[in-house]
Amino acid sequence: MGWLKWLLLIVFAVTCACALVKAVSRPHAGQTDLPAYVTSGVFTTAHPTAFLAAKDFLDFHPEHPVQPIAFTHAVHLAKGLQCEFCHAGVDQGPDARIPGVAVCMACHQVIATDRPEIKKIAAYAARGEDIPWVRVYAYSDSAHVKFNHAPHIRAHIQCASCHGDMTKQTTAERKINLNMGYCIDCHRQKRVSIDCATCHY
Amino acid sequence: MSHKWAMVVDLDRCTGCEACVVACHAENNIPTVGGDQAARGRAMHWIRVERYWEGDFPNPRVRFQPVLCQQCDDAPCESVCPTYASYHTSEGLNGQAYNRCIGTRFCANACPYSVRFFNFFDPKWDKPLNLQLNPDVSLRSVGVMEKCTFCVQRIKSAEIQAEAEKRELKDGEFTTACAQSCASKALVFGDMNDPHSEVSRLASSNRSSKLLGELGTKPSVTYLERGTWQDANNA
Repeated sequence: MGWLKWLLLIVFAVTCACALVKAVSRPHAGQTDLPAYVTSGVFTTAHPTAFLAAKDFLDFHPEHPVQPIAFTHAVHLAKGLQCEFCHAGVDQGPDARIPGVAVCMACHQVIATDRPEIKKIAAYAARGEDIPWVRVYAYSDSAHVKFNHAPHIRAHIQCASCHGDMTKQTTAERKINLNMGYCIDCHRQKRVSIDCATCHY
Repeated sequence: MSHKWAMVVDLDRCTGCEACVVACHAENNIPTVGGDQAARGRAMHWIRVERYWEGDFPNPRVRFQPVLCQQCDDAPCESVCPTYASYHTSEGLNGQAYNRCIGTRFCANACPYSVRFFNFFDPKWDKPLNLQLNPDVSLRSVGVMEKCTFCVQRIKSAEIQAEAEKRELKDGEFTTACAQSCASKALVFGDMNDPHSEVSRLASSNRSSKLLGELGTKPSVTYLERGTWQDANNA
C-alpha cells in the first residue's frame, strides 16, 4: 500500500498549497483580531504541528538515536545478564527504568576499566552526574497512553516481542513501531481487554 | 465477577467545604482558565458543589449538592457522539477517549447534568505548579471534551495490583480523590455489584434518590437526603 500513502501525501500537499494561496490572496489577512482559542497553533489534537502529523503518517521515527555511551546490549546479554538486572522494576511498575550510573559502576569499578567508553562512565560517576541516555521507546503526550510494563511481564510477554532482538543490537534501536495496531493485534490474540480505557485515560 | 462502580452522596452530611473540588483538580490535572473565561462559562470542574438558599432572612437555610458525572447506565452523552469517543465501558463507566474526540460538544449539550467540559485552551500551569501534575492522568489538549472518570487511573492501578497478587479486587481497597478528601464522609465510592459494600448498603436507604431521576438516565450516583415530610415531623 506504499503508493497509496504517497498519493494521499500529494493530495494533502496540493490542498495545503491551495489553502496557502487562498490565505495570502485574502484581503486584510493577518489583521483580524481572533481570540486565543481559535488561533491556538495546534494542528490537530493528536499532532501539534502539520510537520509532526506528516512524520507520523509516513512512519518516520528516529530509529537509532545516538547515545552518550556506545553501550552494547549484545555483549552484556552474551555474558548472561538478564534485562531486569539493569532495567530494574520492570516487573513491578509502569516503567522499565533506564539504569543510573551507579548500576554501571557496580560492575565496572573492576571490569574492563581501561576501555575508553568505560572511562567515560567513570568520569560521569566521578562528577556525580547521571548519564544523559536518550529515550528510544516513548509515547507522545498526545497519544494519551498509560502503558504499564508489569502486567505484560506477568503475562510472560517476552521483552523481544516489543523491543526486538536485543542480543543483536548495540545501543537500542527502535526496531518495532509500537503503534496501536501492534498493541491491539496482541491483545486480540491473547483475548485480553481491548476497551479504550484499558490504555487511554 | 465484574464490578459496577458507583457513588453515594449523602446530602445530609455535606458541609459544602469544596475539599472534593480541590482534590479533583489536583488528582486529575484539571486546568483553570481565569476569571474572564470562567464568566463566559469555560471553567472546568469535574465535580462542583451547588448551593441553594431556602427560606428568608431571619431563618435562611443553605443546602449543598455536590454534582459530578452521574456515570449513567443509559447515558444521553454516549448516543450522540459521532466518533464514539464517549462510550460505555464494561464496568459501567461513561468513558471518554480523548484521542477520538473531535470536539463537536454534542455530548455536553445532551448531558442534563452539565458535567462535561470543553477545553477552550491548551492546558497551562505556571511554574512550579507544573511539577504537581499527576503523571497517571493525561493532559487534555485544546478542542477535546473531558469529564469525571470516577478516577479511572486509581481503578486501573488497583486492578493491576490485585491481579499481581492473584486475588479479586475488593470493595474499599481504593477510592476516588473526592471521596478520599471528604471530611464529613458525604461521598462514598464503591462496587455496587458487591452486596456487602458500603455503597450498596447506603444506596438501598429509604433516603435515596437519583438526580433528575425522572429522565430515565439510570445514574450510578445516588443522593441521600431526608424528605421534607421528615423535616415537618421532626419540627
